[in-house]
Amino acid sequence: MDLPVHVQLDLHRRMVRIRLFEEAAGRLAESNRLPGFLHLYVGEEAVAAGVCGALNDDDHITSTHRGHGHLVAKGGDFNRMMAELMGKATGYCKGKGGSMHISDTSLGMLGANGIVGAGSPIAVGAAFANRYRGRGQVAVAFFGDGSTNIGAFHEAANMACALHLPIVFACENNEYGEFTPRDKTMAITDIVDRAAGYGMPGVIVDGMDVIAVHEAAVEAVERARTGGGPSLIEAKTYRFYNHHGVQNLGLKYRSDDEVAMWKQRDPIFTLEDRMIENKAATRDQFDAIWAELRAGIEAAIAFADESPYPTPDQIMVGVYTSMSGAN
Amino acid sequence: MADERKLAYVMAFNEAVKQQMEADPNVFCAGEDIGAFGGVFGTFGGLQAKFGADRVVDTPISEQAIVGLGVGAAVTGLRPIVDLMFMDFICVALDQIVNQAAKLKYMFGGDAVLPLTITTAGGGGLSAAAQHSQSLEALLCHIPGLKVVMPSNPYDMKGLMTACIQENNPTVMIKHKRLLGMTGHVPEESYSIPLGKGNILRPGKDVTIVAYARMANEALIAADELAKDGIDCEIIDPRTLQPLDTDLIVSSVKKTNHAVVVHEAVRFGGLGGEIASQIQELAFDYLDAPVTRIGAPFSPVPFSPALEQHYIPDSKTIVQGIRDVMARV
Amino acid sequence: MSTVGIIVNPNAGKDIRRLVTPATHTSDVTKVGIVRRAIVAAAEAGATRILLMPDRHRLAERAAEGLGLDGRDGRCSVEIVDEPLSGSRHDTIAAARRFWKEQAGAVIALGGDGTSRDVALGWPDAPLIAISTGTNNVYPSAIDGTSAGAAAALVAAGHVDIAVVGRRSKRVTVRIDDVVVEGDAERTVSRDDLALVDLAFIDAQFVGARAVRDPNTVRAVIAAVATPASTGLSSIAGRVHPVDRWDDTGVLIRLGHGGRRVRVPLAPGSFTTLDIAEVRPLALGESVEIAGKCVLAFDGERDVPVSERGRVTVRVDKSGPLLIDVDATLIIAARDRRFDEKQTTTPDPEADGAPHGH
Ligand SMILES: Cc1ncc(C[n+]2csc(CCOP(=O)(O)OP(=O)(O)O)c2C)c(N)n1
Ligand SMILES: [Mg+2]
Repeated sequence: MDLPVHVQLDLHRRMVRIRLFEEAAGRLAESNRLPGFLHLYVGEEAVAAGVCGALNDDDHITSTHRGHGHLVAKGGDFNRMMAELMGKATGYCKGKGGSMHISDTSLGMLGANGIVGAGSPIAVGAAFANRYRGRGQVAVAFFGDGSTNIGAFHEAANMACALHLPIVFACENNEYGEFTPRDKTMAITDIVDRAAGYGMPGVIVDGMDVIAVHEAAVEAVERARTGGGPSLIEAKTYRFYNHHGVQNLGLKYRSDDEVAMWKQRDPIFTLEDRMIENKAATRDQFDAIWAELRAGIEAAIAFADESPYPTPDQIMVGVYTSMSGAN
Repeated sequence: MADERKLAYVMAFNEAVKQQMEADPNVFCAGEDIGAFGGVFGTFGGLQAKFGADRVVDTPISEQAIVGLGVGAAVTGLRPIVDLMFMDFICVALDQIVNQAAKLKYMFGGDAVLPLTITTAGGGGLSAAAQHSQSLEALLCHIPGLKVVMPSNPYDMKGLMTACIQENNPTVMIKHKRLLGMTGHVPEESYSIPLGKGNILRPGKDVTIVAYARMANEALIAADELAKDGIDCEIIDPRTLQPLDTDLIVSSVKKTNHAVVVHEAVRFGGLGGEIASQIQELAFDYLDAPVTRIGAPFSPVPFSPALEQHYIPDSKTIVQGIRDVMARV
Repeated sequence: MSTVGIIVNPNAGKDIRRLVTPATHTSDVTKVGIVRRAIVAAAEAGATRILLMPDRHRLAERAAEGLGLDGRDGRCSVEIVDEPLSGSRHDTIAAARRFWKEQAGAVIALGGDGTSRDVALGWPDAPLIAISTGTNNVYPSAIDGTSAGAAAALVAAGHVDIAVVGRRSKRVTVRIDDVVVEGDAERTVSRDDLALVDLAFIDAQFVGARAVRDPNTVRAVIAAVATPASTGLSSIAGRVHPVDRWDDTGVLIRLGHGGRRVRVPLAPGSFTTLDIAEVRPLALGESVEIAGKCVLAFDGERDVPVSERGRVTVRVDKSGPLLIDVDATLIIAARDRRFDEKQTTTPDPEADGAPHGH
């Protein structure tokens, strides 16, 4: 037997949690109940789930503007996430960060990030600290294809390799940076082609197949944890919705056929079908999982709705850490 | 005038670029998503279709190289317009802006011309949180070699953008995200507003308000409110922040004897400090009260609308600030 | 008309095996370089028409860019054939089929074992030069584009006889009969497939990242080629019962307790002990049936899941592609003074046409 069924179910659960959270956030945004920008992870669930499923709770991840999926996959709490998206005081960042800065340091999630490319150098720092402390923790930098065009990515990749740090670079190649296709902004097709230049292995996996992502992540994380140094995983994936928000708003930067083709490869349904074929789970079982998690999402929306907004006196709180140790 | 042509702020920008591109084949634009997509704020809409992909270039997400592209192309004879989507992203490109663009001419003993325009979008009010809402103009105004403009309305936008493109020094044009849809009279023919020349947005005699970009509009609302109490505000919009029209500000203060400086940026270390000092140095004897600065508190821009609405100054904050100044008489 | 077809698999050399093993990654730039050298050499050696497989990475386009080979004024023409693209292995299969239709005299394929397999699926009898662009490959070899291009053109133009330099390779011919349940209905689905090196029965539920990572999941291997000098899955058969590429046999190996215990490098540099229950030499054409749930790995890559009611019928036979011996081809051509400037094309009467070391 290869992957135990409980691991398959765990990966499935992480993906469904992401899907439900994101679909709910999308609906709320459409009815103008969420302020600010919203970059949804729908379609790319297999990447965050497959990678985070290979991590320990005390491993670190850095994220991107498209960060909800990473936090959910790392075990993020629906209530606090939804409250943050609504700008409530009970949110993960007490309403100060919102969608683009959502974070939970206790889960090793070092923040979504509004600056493209900025997460990767931070992951290098976390990897450095992890080795320094010697507790065998690993850091993962999630990043988009577009972010590999920015200096920060290259500096981070090079430094991680030069210092031989316990880090995994996990690229979500969804073929677009905002509204511009990848082939207009780089002369290579595969992000892994960059890896060799820094002296680390790079592998491509099907980012719509959580098992494939997970297998690669297990190898890469194991390698990092046992002193084998950095590696890069490029997951070929696709976002089902627009760069931000839900609707494409008639923006024709992707063809309907292309979107439909990728949607057919939905990572969650593919896994469910395969598991049912394998008799590892039943449709009823999956229905129950969806229902249970959906209830959690409804509860989170209610929690967020009922939560208070932060009061203006909170504006100046949390700018600095006080030397007396208070936050 | 009934037949006055009206245009949105964003289209005034667009028209200035279009007219300058028509007039001068050396003008080209480069930036993220500006070509086929027309820019995330629509600022470059239709330009690639009109001028082609060689003159309206979609770049990789590479702020440092985008500005570098502008510096290198400018110093070798072109007239680039390079766009950084959000003002916050200038931080990614600061070396090229601060150490390269601003200083090449001087370091080369004057032997370099850099007709470079860097365009970007600043300001808050969209719940875009701490990395997409900043007003970092003070940072740029502190750098010798740069010119910085922040228009408050469509008319100024077109005239200033035209001037920036025609300028033979590096300029930074900062659009305000909340003003993009603001409409106003904009003549169709090309015109330019000289860099370094401020504008009296509203004449008055009791107090001088120095305000730019979105805050100039908030000041206008505040002035109407204060007029009901018989306080007659004069609003000076410097339009260009570097070089600053100190003469205009000082002559106004000499008339009103009161000054309030308003900006959306963090108050501490903001441009208000510089303007207040200039007034104090040049018109000390005319002042009936200390110069007051209104700006954001010393914290990053918060995400929640519940916080952001109290964070960014508005007409109410300005009214209160002015009442305080007048009360000190 | 002497036509050479070139296939370059953009996806080869980039899979998970680079992580598991210290294998090198093959960048697009490397592949473009090999193809470009092959094009130039083929045109030089007398190809009149070079057909390229289109690909999503635009490797073919980049390889041909600026060479000026447009078929005018007696120059060779380079064309990227017009086939719909899927971005998957089906592009390779479709291109091989197309080259067959276009009557290419030789095909050059860049990739790994999997790429050669896809060529054979599209064109079973392809006259083939298989260039390895990765490590751990058994079927293709490390050949530079310049030699490959020249040899392909010489064969395609008939300057060197394929009957002399081409050798029929073996393959594992596979038939899968499986039962598919659709609601209450059941139907049997059959498909034919092939491997050029080996077929492994893996105790797995998923295709996943394709590479076979856990030696304990391997149930059985049927190999057409089994070389102890390889690493990875094919080393199992290789270290138990070597079978040369040109031997007229195959081998079936079942894993399980009660037999030999063999040390095998399933990944380069890492050895595992495997229990071998059965080793059975297979005559060419002898068929073996294996039933039961598994994932079939073709040439080292998990590919086709089979249900518990599935039956897999396998044989090793001599119906693989016609492999062109590049060295031999070039030696014959040199003896025949094919590389002399055009005016001296008279064959050397001293040369006997047989290459050294063949
Ligand atoms: C430094 C910087 N430049 C530009 C942006 C604007 N921006 C936000 S997301 C994005 C596209 C990022 O593309 P990619 O890395 O591929 O991630 P994806 O959105 O596809 O997940 C851009 C250009 C930014 N946030 N930061
Ligand atoms: Mg992307």
